[in-house]
Amino acid sequence: MTETISGWLFDIYPNETNLTLWLIGEDGKRHRFVQDFAATIYAAGSSARLRALWRWLKAQAVPVHLSRLERKDVFQGMVAVLAAEVLQPVKLDEIFRSMVAAFPDLTYYDADISLPLRYAAAFGVFPLARCRLEVRDETVVSMTALDSPWDLEPVPAPLRILSLEPDCDPAHGEPRAIIVSYERVRYSLPLEKRVPLLINLGADLRRYDQDLILTSWGDTWLMPLLMELCKESGSMLPLNRDESQSVVERKEHTYFSYGQIVYRGRQVQLRGRWHLDRHNAMLWSDYGMEGVLEMARVTCQPVQDAARLSPGTGISSMQFVTALKKGILIPWHKHQAETPKTAMDLLRADMGGMVYQPTVGLHWDVGGIDFVSMYPGIMVRFNISPEVPRAGTDLEPAPGEPGIVPITLAPLLNKRLALKSALLTLHRWDCRRPGYQALASAHKWLLVTCFGYLGYKNARFGRIEAHEAVTAYGREALLRAKEAAEDLDYEILHMYVDGLWVHKEGCKTPADFEALLADITERTGLPISLDGVYRWVVFLPSRLDERVPVPNRYFGVFQDGSIKVRGIEARRRDTAPFIAETQMAIMEILAKAEDAEHLKEVYPQALAFAHREMQALRAGSVPVEKLLVSQKLSRELGEYSSPSPVARAVRQLEEAGKAVRPGQRVRFLYTRGRPGVRAWDAPEQPDPRCVDVKRYQTLLKRAVETVLAPIGQSVDGGKDDECRYLFPVKIAEPLGEGGTQRLDFLSISKVNNFVNGGG
Amino acid sequence: MGRTLPSATQVFMQEEAAFARFRRALRRTDQLALDDLFVSARQHLAAAQYASHALPFEVFLLAMLLEEHKEVLRLKERVEDILSRQK
Repeated sequence: MTETISGWLFDIYPNETNLTLWLIGEDGKRHRFVQDFAATIYAAGSSARLRALWRWLKAQAVPVHLSRLERKDVFQGMVAVLAAEVLQPVKLDEIFRSMVAAFPDLTYYDADISLPLRYAAAFGVFPLARCRLEVRDETVVSMTALDSPWDLEPVPAPLRILSLEPDCDPAHGEPRAIIVSYERVRYSLPLEKRVPLLINLGADLRRYDQDLILTSWGDTWLMPLLMELCKESGSMLPLNRDESQSVVERKEHTYFSYGQIVYRGRQVQLRGRWHLDRHNAMLWSDYGMEGVLEMARVTCQPVQDAARLSPGTGISSMQFVTALKKGILIPWHKHQAETPKTAMDLLRADMGGMVYQPTVGLHWDVGGIDFVSMYPGIMVRFNISPEVPRAGTDLEPAPGEPGIVPITLAPLLNKRLALKSALLTLHRWDCRRPGYQALASAHKWLLVTCFGYLGYKNARFGRIEAHEAVTAYGREALLRAKEAAEDLDYEILHMYVDGLWVHKEGCKTPADFEALLADITERTGLPISLDGVYRWVVFLPSRLDERVPVPNRYFGVFQDGSIKVRGIEARRRDTAPFIAETQMAIMEILAKAEDAEHLKEVYPQALAFAHREMQALRAGSVPVEKLLVSQKLSRELGEYSSPSPVARAVRQLEEAGKAVRPGQRVRFLYTRGRPGVRAWDAPEQPDPRCVDVKRYQTLLKRAVETVLAPIGQSVDGGKDDECRYLFPVKIAEPLGEGGTQRLDFLSISKVNNFVNGGG
Repeated sequence: MGRTLPSATQVFMQEEAAFARFRRALRRTDQLALDDLFVSARQHLAAAQYASHALPFEVFLLAMLLEEHKEVLRLKERVEDILSRQK
């Protein structure tokens, strides 16, 4: 008998013979079903070799269904392929590995695509999709999606969440208990009493039957510990909802990405339930649970993977699903090389976005204008994709069918634009705001990486010429925006890839900038928005030479009093919290000023506050935790020629038997004498008396000067007739390494008489 | 990330380094004036990048000249201003 069930798709994974599928029913029950599913691999090569492969596959124990087809390769057009449908999905990887070993000369397609992505493409579903199933004897007969990942407000799935966390950071101290909480229940289980711990926790896991176990340090510490305890005592903890499956573990690894070394901890994933570790989830602090679920919905990656994967993998997954749906082959290994260019072509093409040198100093009434998701917008609007031939740099869409990249990005970009405009109209305290913001920031990361993946040599749908085309269009659009602004008599203070900062006497409200925005959209065809009107903004010079402006170091206050900060200490993750907080507090005091007069009044308050904080530091009344500096270990300890502070801290940890991998962050204190640092997670607690107060004073002074020096310059009357709102910045004295040299015109004329006529 | 060609900033620093011997032999005061010229060229790195000229130092020289001319214009305006007030 067939029955129909509606609910939210929760989990999919292979079992011995087919797929297991979990559904959170609208009836509140958690259902487990099975479904037959075939995964297809394609092989291309000479007919003789394909015939041999056919015979080889027929002889395998795993059932396969074979056929000869023509399919589209993005780079080569239609190719003749052998399609092998593997009817037992769990055997897919195994059979592919032996296939490659036996026929290494063939070209393979769709070979390493995960089952959840294949499933998503086949049925148009995604994690937490609302769907309707026809089921016969626990076997899914048909599956229909009822919503799409592009809905702004999908009906949320009723998830049951249980949280587990140790009573302290296991890297820093020795946890004594595990705190369990769900709904209104919250209690702690002592770690010493191991048998009662397992019994009590097990009872609760069974009783509450949660969908998600949310932990702190669950991947790296808690789950491995629980599994170890189970093994020791021979008992069973029902971590998985599907007890026929075992818990999935993945090893830790370190890799290099975007000029940074990244560390990913080990992972523990559950079956029929989810496990998420707040401390091992990508960008958890940016977008939290809602962002993770959104990431899973739009990328079709299972929630447990989506939480832990980089946005780059997310964007690739989206492209794979598009390709599978469109019947486009996904190469296993890309063989596409860069086409030859002349030196002049290379000189013109090999450039990034335009980054200007800002006009250093304090500026009043500045409009901050941004192209909305410029690079993805360019790819969608001008149809930039590896397989689409490009037509010139004029801002015209490439002719022909939209390519795989724009097809993939368009709905995501549209959703982001819809969210952004919704956020603009929602009231400041609207309860939908935080949710929308989480979604928008999840999308932001996907859209940011999609550009990089277009030029990445290993990306399956990457092509350097497409990547270069995007930056070329971006430069053209920015220059047209500059011309539009200058034609309307705005002064350009700064430009940065996809944003401009402009000033015009009398333009103080968003409405004053509307004509400019419309003109820019007209000239470029790309959506542009007003980030906000700054009451004031300060562009800072380089630390090493005050005459040299740097592009991305500024801070400013919008008209609503909110502060925007880039590149200064408060934004940097390696700044001690005390210093970052002091700097932010100073900016909050300054942010109260509504005009230049008012700034004069608040400046002494800010200065007095800075003095008080400096005194607190000297008096030792700042808590040690607030002075912790957190830095990444950038390479193996042995590779340091002269050990940096972080390397010295790591050495202390290693002496205490704690291993640190490159890419991991290490917290330490600057201390007096040798070795000058104290690792925070070393066994003995540091003595607060040995804190290197002088060093922290220098750091604080530097942070305070960054924000107060340019303001002070204006307040103390550094006004120049030529530029009414620009005050040259002078940093009181060079700090630490690298001094500045000032030019003294008087001394030149005196000494240079040799040239001037003394000869 | 992989770039085939050095950026304008990198080229600029190479060019500046290439004049290290020249700078060393200058008087201290002249060294400081030379530094100022390089600083003024730095203001236009974005334009130099966009120009993608095969001989980038020509662009840097033009950038120096541009800043010098701006200064001349500024001083000229000031002198005229002072003279008009004296009348």
